[in-house]
Order: sequence, then C-alpha cells, then structure tokens
Amino acid sequence: MSTPVPELLPGDEVPFAKISGAMTRGLCLDAGAMRALVATVVAVGPVDRLTDAVETLQRLGDAGTVRGILISEGNNPAPPARVAGNTVSLEGLKAPYVNNAVAALRLSSLPTLLWWRGGRLDTLDALADLADRVVLDEEEPFAAWRRATELVDTSAFSDLRWTRLTQWRALMAHFFDIPEVRAAAPDFTHLEIDATDRASATLFAAWLTSSIKFTKALAVEIVRDDDRLRGFDSPIRAIRLGDREQELRLRLAGTRTCVEAAVSVRGHRSASRIVSLGDESPAGLLTAELRIRARDLAFERAIRAITPAEGQPPTR
Amino acid sequence: MIENVPENPLNDGLRLEPAPGPTTLVIFGASGDLARRKLLPAIYNLSRRGRLPAHFAVIGVARTEMDDEAFRRQFRASLQEFAGLGKEQDQVAESLASRMFYISGEMDTPALYERLNAKLDEADGLEGVLFYLAIPPSAYAPVVEGLGAAGLSRAPAPRWRRVIVEKPFGVDLTSARALNHLAHQHFDEEQIYRIDHYLGKETVQNLLVFRFGNGMFEPVWNRRYIDHVQITAAETVGVEHRAAYYEGAGALRDMVQNHLMQVLSLVAMEPPIAFTAESVRDRKMDALLAIQPLVVDGDARGVVRAQYREGWVNGVEVPAYRTEKGVDPKSTTETFVAARLSLDNWRWAGVPFYVRTAKRLPKRTTEIAIQFKRPPLEIFRRASQSPVQPDLLIVNVQPDEGISLRFEAKLPGTRMQIAPVMMNFRYGTTFGGEVPEAYETLLLDAMLGDATLFARHDFVEASWALITPVLEAWKRLDEAALPAYEAGEWGPPKADELIERDHRRWRTL
Repeated sequence: MSTPVPELLPGDEVPFAKISGAMTRGLCLDAGAMRALVATVVAVGPVDRLTDAVETLQRLGDAGTVRGILISEGNNPAPPARVAGNTVSLEGLKAPYVNNAVAALRLSSLPTLLWWRGGRLDTLDALADLADRVVLDEEEPFAAWRRATELVDTSAFSDLRWTRLTQWRALMAHFFDIPEVRAAAPDFTHLEIDATDRASATLFAAWLTSSIKFTKALAVEIVRDDDRLRGFDSPIRAIRLGDREQELRLRLAGTRTCVEAAVSVRGHRSASRIVSLGDESPAGLLTAELRIRARDLAFERAIRAITPAEGQPPTR
Repeated sequence: MIENVPENPLNDGLRLEPAPGPTTLVIFGASGDLARRKLLPAIYNLSRRGRLPAHFAVIGVARTEMDDEAFRRQFRASLQEFAGLGKEQDQVAESLASRMFYISGEMDTPALYERLNAKLDEADGLEGVLFYLAIPPSAYAPVVEGLGAAGLSRAPAPRWRRVIVEKPFGVDLTSARALNHLAHQHFDEEQIYRIDHYLGKETVQNLLVFRFGNGMFEPVWNRRYIDHVQITAAETVGVEHRAAYYEGAGALRDMVQNHLMQVLSLVAMEPPIAFTAESVRDRKMDALLAIQPLVVDGDARGVVRAQYREGWVNGVEVPAYRTEKGVDPKSTTETFVAARLSLDNWRWAGVPFYVRTAKRLPKRTTEIAIQFKRPPLEIFRRASQSPVQPDLLIVNVQPDEGISLRFEAKLPGTRMQIAPVMMNFRYGTTFGGEVPEAYETLLLDAMLGDATLFARHDFVEASWALITPVLEAWKRLDEAALPAYEAGEWGPPKADELIERDHRRWRTL
C-alpha cells in the first residue's frame, strides 16, 4: 500500500519517459550553460527520511554537476515523477522496480552513488549491483552493515557515520604516527567513547579493534548520556584510549565544530591541537564520498568486526 | 629511539592525505605583506583542515620589534583581513596562535641565528625545520649565510632542513647564478624550494592530469593539430604598493621569467616517465631549452614592451604609471610585455607560443589558449554563411579556474548553418568542497618534501638566459622607443602587429 505523502519536490509532474529531457532542459535554463557533470546521486528510503534528502540533493544539484534521484518504495508501479532542476523524485515506486528506474535515469558513463536511507534489503542488493558506491545512512544501521559485508565485492560501501568519523579517525591516527604510541598501543587496556549515537561509537571502536592487535583485554565502554549530550550535533563527544600510564584523548572543543586532540602521559598533558570537523552536513559528507572511487577496506574491516549480537564490537 | 615498531596501522585506508612529520616553520619577513596576506592565512587553513602535523610551530623573524603576543595579534588580524574570520574567538586560530613565536633582529647579525636556534630548541622544534624567505632579494644572502654559519642549514636524518625562496630568484642571469651558488654553499639542491605560486594553482597542476591522465588529448597535442598557443596573464590593477620593487623589475622580470615560463613549459613538455619531482622537472627543462633566443643580432624583435598611461579601468579613472606613487616620472619600466616564442623540437616546430602580460588591462584573467588548426577541407564553406572557426581549448588559470572547449556545431534548422559552442568545466563548482589556495598546496608540499611544484636551479637559470638578452637590448634603446597604451585597453598597437605578422590575432578576452 503506497503511503500518501506530501510531494517531495515542488517541481513539475513529468511522464517517466520524458524525465531525462526535462532535467537537461531545466539544467540549461537554470545554469545558463551545461556544466561538467560528475555523478548521479540516488537517495532511496522511506518518505519521512527523504524529505530532508531533497534539500541535500538540490544543494548538490544546484551546482549543476550532479543528477539527483529520490525514490521512496511503495506499491505503485507508475508513480508520478516530479522534476525540479536536475533532481527527480519518484514517490511510492513498487519495490522490485526501483533498480529499473535507477538504471533508466542515471547518467551514462559517470559514477552512480547510492545514498541508502533505509528500506528492504532486497532492494539494497539490487541497487548495489547498479551503483559504483553505496553510502549507507540508516537510523539503525546494523542490519544494513551485515548485508554490506556480503555485498562488498559487488560495489564499494561506506556509511555517512563513517564519513562523519573521518576527522576523528585522522586525529587518532596522528597519535599513532609517534613511534612510542605505536609501541605502547597493543598494551592499552581501555577505550571509552562518549556518544550521542551508539552506532557511530560502535563503528569507531570496531575500526580500532580491527586495526590494532591489542594484546590485553581492551575494555570498551560506550557512554550514552543523552541529557548531558543534548544539543551536540556530532555523534561523538569524546574518546579516550590508553592504559594507566598514558591516554590519547579526543574531545569536541567548545564550539562543537572542532576536535581537540591531546596526549596525557602519567598525568602530564601534552600540548593539544585543534582541528575543524569540516562540513558535517549531509551535502558536505556526500561531496566527500563523491571524491572517493576505491573500496574502503578499513570500513569493510570495521563492519566485519561488529558482532551480530547487536553491533557490540569485540572486546579482547 | 624506538626500534622495530611497525608502520602506523591506522593510516591504512585513511581518507585524509597524510600530514607531514613534526615541522617548525620559520618565516623570515614575518611582519611583512606576504606573511600577512598569504602565509599566515594559508597556515590557518591547513590547520583547520587537519593538514598540519601534531608537532607544529611557527617562528616569525623580522627586523620589526615585536614579542610573541604581538606576533599572535598580527596573526589574528591577518586572518580577519585576509581569511574572512570574524572578530569572535576561533579555536583553531587560538590553538595555532599558542604555538607561534617571534624573534626580532638584523638579518646579518650572528646573534639572531643563535636566538633562533635557542627558540627552536625551546619550541621542541628541531625535528623538521622549514625556513621561508619572505624577504627582499637583498636580504637572501645574509640569511642564507647566517643559517649556514649557525649550523641551522643541515641536520642528520631523519631530521630535515628545507628553505623556501620567494621570487625574484635574481634580477638577471648573473645574479641568479650567484644566488644559486650562495644557496648551494649551505643547502643541497634537494633542500631548496623556489616557490612560484602559479604552480600551486589547481588548474596549472591539472594541466599535467589533463595531458597525461587522458588518452585523447596527447595525440593531438603537437604541431600536426595545433596552430598556435596564447598564454595571457592580464591584471586590472596598477603598481599599487609595490612601486619600489616593480620599478626595478617590470613585467618581463615580474611575470614572464617565472610564472609564464613555468606555465609554458607545462604546456610544451614531453610526457614524464613518472609523476616524480625530478622526472617532471626534467621534462619541463627540456621544453624550456627548446625555446629559441628572443634576441637576434641585438634586436628583440619578437618582444614588445609598453607602459600604461592614464585611462579608465573597472569603472574608475586611473593615473598613468609614471604618476603612480613611488614611480620615477621618467620611468622606462615596462608594464606590458608580449612575446612570440618558438620551440625548436619535434613536437612544436613551427607552432608559435604567444605570451602577453600586463597591468591595467580591461579584465583580470590568466589563461592558456590552445588554438587548433582548421579542418583541412572546408566542406561547409558554401553552405554556411559564417566561416568555420578553429577549435579552441582554454585553460582558465584565474579567476574562474577551469577548462573550456570551443567547437563548431550545426545550428538547429533546415539549413546548414554552423556556430561555435563552448563547453565549460569549472573547478569551483564541479567537485564541491573547497579549492585550496596555491600557498596552502605549496607550503604543505614543502613540509612533505615534495618538490614537484617548485622551480629547480637549472630552470631558473635557463629562463634568465632567455630573458636577460632582452633586458640588455632594451637598455640600449632610448625612452622614446617605449610605447604607451591606455589603461583599460588591451595593450599597444605594436603587440597586435607582433601577432598579425603571422596572420593571427590575439584572442578576444
């Protein structure tokens, strides 16, 4: 049963067969001249999760370089298509036809990025076959991550949570550029993550445990204190990794747009550095994903390291 | 020293490019214009993006009396003026400011370098040191000698010492050789990074990708298909606050000897065997060496110079060069140069390269235009009212970095009518994200030890070897031989004559 929804796009209703022509015309009118196109971005998910995707795709499409396709699953084999600029929406499309629609509407000869915001995993399977890159973005991602581990040979996979963790991972990695830290790391005993989003914390912990051979049992503690963390946009507030002697600390700096990194050795805190988290909007994160072509083996290792028992990373 | 420690396992698959190792950036001329306008904002942007190493510090050195706190205030002020920061506290800037230090003194006194050594030690900054000479050329010698005498120019591996030298690298061939000789007394060539900010621009770097990362362009990149090349660097501004420097330099030294020769060599070079500093620079050097002398029998016939007189630019009346502040009223410094260059090699024989650069032109633009030959047979001549235009590939270096291709297309309709169309690729919008400033790219490359985008000593000298005879030929001419052009126009008639002799025209910009 197709859900009655408000129209995602304010654009004109267009017969499916004329979508490509309408988008090309719209782009020429909007941008004055056709610009260099770089990719198709397909957002698939329940309608309530596509509403905010509209703005993101339009922001990407405004530059005239990305074709945006929004599809919500339903039971309608021929839902009305709406076109605005270089973005098209199909609301309530019968699930088995979603991949057909993408195959017909994606730009030829350019990469297709699937922004997966939820839905039937069968649909994900079919779309992964078409997409050059799948960026997962589910509210509860564990099932999709498990399925992704089976599909990574078909398409390159990532997750917007993973993209959002890029700067956190980079700063943690910078600590490990110091030989003394690398030498001591296997004996670290605790990892504590203050998070508003358990999945992000789990992913970060899984990345660490799948990258470093910890010789001692690493106690992984994910602290969720929603009251204390309310108002933080970032999924993570602080990370502490170490043992009794030394500790590597990352934490959101005051403005919450930067991360502060510091090492503490026997209680003595080294000089800290502060780095901007960058553009954490979905459009900014997708732009970062559009720059990547290769498989993300670190991400694949991390999601494999998350145990089926509801995403708890292994503690050794 | 910890031994047998495995590589950093967390760098595997990390999306951010690796940051350099521990670095202290020592800026000579830290209170000057370049530091305030370009270097300090570039450092801030690198820091904001997490591209600086964990152990990073800046030590400013200049004659101006200032303490650390005053230098930090200057840093904050430069970010407000040139990096678009507001007055509110910025945490990245504050974090960076806490690692900024300053020492003042005369560049030719050994005590300055002793204090610098002590400051480096105090800042725990002896691992990797990058000296940036943002100072007038007259101060290069004392600084290089001071660093050498203080033992600051070398360090046992894995420590490193590098020096970035700003243009001009000399004022002629003799002075360039002397400068290189002096630098080589204290630094190895591998330690010397001669900066040319044009090479840090995305489009200029993209020339290498465009030519050698695609299979379809290189086969037509030669005398068989290309009619000629035009390289233009046009400025709307006048001499501004640089009269003291510009009076002694002029457009030929200021733009042609460095920026335009670098760009030309990237257009004309053969494919390097690898994307390594030496391989790329070897091929650029080959291209430069293929350029034929610009002066024959004492006559610089292939080079036109001129100076702007009063006129109208960007909607305002502007004064003549000779009435600008700090300019000699009888100055014969050229503010316009156009030249025709011939490269005698297998690829380019018979394909002229026209370069022009000037101040006070109608439009600010820097571009490379590759004009292809017309089709060998004009089969549409009768059918079409307008003649077929040659295809044109334009590499826009600034302000709108990108590439455009002009080709002919049939106008819709029952008649065979042909019109040129332009396809545009723009860096600023195509890929999203921020395009780094040239100084960010080049500073980072120097910290990482990648010299690909820096000028090598032999390139600098070969370039001066081409330019110096022109300067000498001009010196022999009297003041009356210096043509003038109206500010806001595209140069003197002689520049048009230069290209019209070959039955060609300057591109309309």
